[in-house]
Amino acid sequence: MSIAPEIVTPEIVTLQNLRRITRERALGYGITLILIGVLEVLWFGGAGSALKTTIELGYNSSTAMPSITSALRVIPLLIGLLLLAPAVSHAAREFIPERLKFTKGVRNFFIIVGGYLVIWPIVLWLGVNSDGALRTLTIPVSTTGYVVGILTVVAGILLAWRRFDRGASPLLYAGLIVFMLGFLVWVARGSNVSGLHLQLTGILAAAVAAATFLIFGSLSGTLCERSGVVNIAIEGQFMTGAISSVMVVSAMNGTGISKLLGVLVAGILGSLLGWVLAVMSLRYKANQIIVGIVIVAFCTAVTQFIMFQVLDTHQNLNGAYPLPVWAIPFFSHIPIIGPILFDQNVLVYVAILGVVIANIALFRTRWGLRVRSVGEKPIAAETVGVSVTRMRYGAVILGGFVAGLGGAAFTIGPGTNFTFGMTNGYGYIALAIMIFGRWRPYGALMASLLFGFTIALSANLNIYLNQLVIPQQFISMLPYVITIAAVAGLVGRIRPPAADGVPFSRE
Amino acid sequence: MKLELRAVTKHFGSLAANKNVNLVVEPGQIHCLLGENGAGKSTLMNVLYGMISPDSGQLLINDEVVSIRDPKDAVTHKIGMVHQHFMLIPVFTVAENIILGSEPVKPWPFIDHQSATERIVALAKEYNFDIDPSATIENLPIGTQQRVEILKALSHNAEILILDEPTAVLTPQEADALMIVMRTLKAQGKSIIFITHKLKEVLEIADVITVMRLGEVVGTTTPAETNEAALATMMVGRDVSLVVEKPPAHTGDVTLGVTDLFVQDDRGLTAVKGVSFEVRAGEILAFAGVQGNGQTELVEALTGLRRVTAGSVVLNGTELVGQSVRDVLNAGVGHVPEDRQRHGLVLSLSIADNLVLDQLDSSQYKSWWGRKLKAIVENGTRRIAEYDIRAQNEAEPLSSLSGGNQQKVVMARELSRELKVLICAQPTRGLDVGSIEFMHRQIVAIRDEGVAVVIISSELDEVIALGDRVAVLYDGIIQDIVPPTTSREDFGLLMAGSRPTVSAGSIS
Repeated sequence: MSIAPEIVTPEIVTLQNLRRITRERALGYGITLILIGVLEVLWFGGAGSALKTTIELGYNSSTAMPSITSALRVIPLLIGLLLLAPAVSHAAREFIPERLKFTKGVRNFFIIVGGYLVIWPIVLWLGVNSDGALRTLTIPVSTTGYVVGILTVVAGILLAWRRFDRGASPLLYAGLIVFMLGFLVWVARGSNVSGLHLQLTGILAAAVAAATFLIFGSLSGTLCERSGVVNIAIEGQFMTGAISSVMVVSAMNGTGISKLLGVLVAGILGSLLGWVLAVMSLRYKANQIIVGIVIVAFCTAVTQFIMFQVLDTHQNLNGAYPLPVWAIPFFSHIPIIGPILFDQNVLVYVAILGVVIANIALFRTRWGLRVRSVGEKPIAAETVGVSVTRMRYGAVILGGFVAGLGGAAFTIGPGTNFTFGMTNGYGYIALAIMIFGRWRPYGALMASLLFGFTIALSANLNIYLNQLVIPQQFISMLPYVITIAAVAGLVGRIRPPAADGVPFSRE
Repeated sequence: MKLELRAVTKHFGSLAANKNVNLVVEPGQIHCLLGENGAGKSTLMNVLYGMISPDSGQLLINDEVVSIRDPKDAVTHKIGMVHQHFMLIPVFTVAENIILGSEPVKPWPFIDHQSATERIVALAKEYNFDIDPSATIENLPIGTQQRVEILKALSHNAEILILDEPTAVLTPQEADALMIVMRTLKAQGKSIIFITHKLKEVLEIADVITVMRLGEVVGTTTPAETNEAALATMMVGRDVSLVVEKPPAHTGDVTLGVTDLFVQDDRGLTAVKGVSFEVRAGEILAFAGVQGNGQTELVEALTGLRRVTAGSVVLNGTELVGQSVRDVLNAGVGHVPEDRQRHGLVLSLSIADNLVLDQLDSSQYKSWWGRKLKAIVENGTRRIAEYDIRAQNEAEPLSSLSGGNQQKVVMARELSRELKVLICAQPTRGLDVGSIEFMHRQIVAIRDEGVAVVIISSELDEVIALGDRVAVLYDGIIQDIVPPTTSREDFGLLMAGSRPTVSAGSIS
C-alpha cells in the first residue's frame, strides 16, 4: 500500500520559476546600472579634459619594496592562489565547456599557474615602477568618467535586455564599486596641481581600521537578532567598552598583560549590558527597542560622568596605549593588500577571526541551529525541548561581549585616548550594516569594509577640505546615505529572522 | 502504550477551559476528540504535551502517574504532537527540522548531517513516506509538511501521536492520504489522538469518539453506535440543522464584473494571476480553495484595501479599481473580512460604535461638532435586538463578546448599508454550529433580496452548501467555475491544481 497519493503536487520553487523571479530582478538591476552609467558620463565625464587626479598606490612613492623576484613577493601569491584555486574552480565549473573540465587537480593546477603567469605581470606592470617602488598613477578625470560610464551602461543594457538570471547581483555590486571609484577620482580632481595626492593604501588601511568596530558591532547585532532579540544597545556597549578598556590599560601603565585585561574587561562589561537587556526583554518582556535605547542613554550618562568628573582630574587614567601590531610574515609585504590586511593591530585579526568562527558556529553547529530556530519560530523550538529563554540569554550575552570588544577597537585598538562622543552613533550604523549583510557574519564583514571605506575616505579628504570641489560635509554624509539606502532595501530582497524582536511566552 | 487523564481541570481567569476531564487512550487505538471551537480540546492536548500546566488532575502512562511540565518531558514519555499550526521552521530543511532538539553531533559541536539524513531516510522508508531530507520546508506543499511533522514525532520514538485538527489545512485528497497514514501508524501499534470538528472524518477513522462541550466530556461512543446527527447534537447540546435551507436563486443582471485581475501579495509576488468572473444580482458565487492560493489578496483587491497591479473591477458599470476604500464602500460593497478581530472590528470600542464604524461620515451619525451619540446608541440597541447579539447592552466593548456574536456585529454593520454586493471571507471561521447556522441564513436572505454575494471559504462543505456556482482558486488562478453538485473528488482535484479527467461541467 502506497502512502503517496495520486495527486498533482502544487507548484514548488523549481529552477525555472526561481529564474523567473530573478529575471524580474535582473531587469531592475540593469536599469539601475544604466542610470549609474549615464550619471558617470554626465558627471565625471563632464569634468573638463585637462583635469587629472593623482593616486599613490603605496603609503608614499619612495617606499622601497623588495625586489620583484624576492621570496617575499612570490610566496604569498602562491599561497593565496593555492587557497583560492578550489573556490575559483568551483565557481567557474558552470561556465567551462564540458570537454575542458579535466579533473579537479588539473583544474587547480591550471588556475594556480595561470594566476601566477597572468595576474602577477599585470599587478607589477600596473603598480610597480622599474626600481621596485609602488607607482603613482595619474588619471585623467574626464576620460575615466567616459570609459567607466559607457562600460556601466553597456553592462546595464545587457543585463536588462538579456535578463541574465545568474550574475545580476555581482554585476550591480561591481557597478556600484566602479561608481565609487569614479567618484573618488572626480572628487580629488586637480589634485596633481595642488599637491593633493590620494594615498590608496593609506585609505584602504584606514578603512579596515575603521571597519573593525563596525565588524564587531554588526556581528553582535547578527548574533542577537538571529536569536530573535534586537540589540539596539550596541552604541552603549561601544561606549562602555571604549572607556573601560582605556582606564584598565592606563591604570596598569600599558603593560602587555594590561592590554589583554583591558580587552577582556571591555567584553565583559558589554556582556553585562547584554545581560541587562536580556533580563528586561526576556524575563520581564519589556519592549526590546525601548530597553535598548534606555541602556544607551544610561551608558551615555555614565561615561559622561566618568569623563568629566574622574578622567578630567586623573588624566593618567586616559592614556594612549595601542594594542600590539602584528605583521604576518611574507603576507604583510604584498603590495597594497599587505599593509591593509596583514599589518594591523590584534583586534583587527580578532574581528576577522570572530566573523569566521561566528559563521561556522551559526551554520554548522548544534548551538547555531538552535539559536536560529529560536529566532525564526521560538514555539517550534520549545516544542522539541529547546529552551527559548536560555538560547536567547546566551546569544544576547555573547553579542554583548562582541560589542564590548568593538568598544575597545575605538580606543586601545588604534591607541587613542577616550573622548566623549567618539562612538558617534556607529552602534546604530552597525545595525544597518547587519541588515546590509543580510544577518550573516560574512555579509556583516563585507558591509563593514564598505562602510569603513566611506568613513576613511571622508576622513582622508577632510584633510584637504579647502581644496575640495564639494563641501566637506557632503563627504561626511556618505556613510549615512549608504545606511539609508541599505535600510530602505536597496540591497535586494532581504529577509530578517521571522521572530526578530518578538517576545516569546509559551501559553 | 496506554494513556490516561484523570480529573484534569484548567482555568483561564474565570473561564473553565477544562472541567474534571477524564480520558483513556488504549494502545493501538485511534481516539477522536470531537468538539466545537472553544470546547477545550486544544487546551487538554496542550496540558498533555506540557505546553500548559493544569490547575489539578493526574496523568497516567501505562497506569503509572507521571508529571509532564514542559514539552521535553512529553517527548521523553514518548508523546508526540502535530500541532494545528505546524511547528516547523519554514527556512530550515526537512532534516534540520526533524533533528532540532536532538541533533547528532560528531565531532562536538558540529552537526552530523550525514547520519541525520541516513536516519531520516530510513525512518521515512519504514513508514512509506516520500520525503527529501534536504528540501526546504517553505517550498513543500502543506500535506508534505504535515508528514514531516509526523516524521519528527516518530523520530522522537513517539508511541502516542496527538493530531490537532490535521485536516483543516488539507485538500480532500491530502486528507485521504492522511487517513491512510493514520491507519499505517495504528497497524504499527501507535496510539493516535485525533482532534477535529469534522464529523465525516470521525466516523470514517475513529475507534473511540469522545465528545467535549464547554470544557467537559459529554460522552464517549464508537462510530458503530452513532451517526452525524447524533454527534452534532452532542457537540452543540441541542438539535441543529446541518443543511442550509436555500431556495433556488432568482438571478438578475450582472452586478460585479472582474476582468483579468492581477494582485501582488505582501512579499511582492503575484498572488492573483489574471482572475475574471461575474456575479449576478441574487446569486452566490462561492470560492473554494486551500488557504494561501490568493484568496486574501483577491478579497482585499475587490474591497480596495490592496493595490491592483492590472485588471478591472466593475460594479454596475462603475470602475472600482483605483478608488479609495471609502468610495468602494459607498458604491455599495459590503465586506465581512477574513480576520474579524484585526480587520473587522475595534475590540476596545463599544458595540454601538462598532456598528457605525463605516458610517461615521454620513449625516445620520455626524453633526457639525461630532458624533450624534443618541442616534448611534439607538441604532445599537435596535441591531442588537434584530440580530440577536448576546450582550448586556450596546455599551459593552466588543472584546467581551464571543466569536459568534462578534461576527454578528460585523454582519449587522455591513447589512445596515445599501448593498449591491456582499463579500464574505471565511464567514464562519471559528464559530460554533449555532452561529454558523445563523450566518448561513443571513447570507441566503441577503441573496434573496437581490444582492450579489461572493463567499470565500476554505471549508469545502460551506462552499458547497452556500454557493449557487463554485469557483475553485488554485495558485491565484480560477481553475474552473462549476456547479455545487460537482463531486468532492473533482473538487479535490481542482483544489490541487489539476483538472478532473471527466469534465466537471464547467459553467463559467
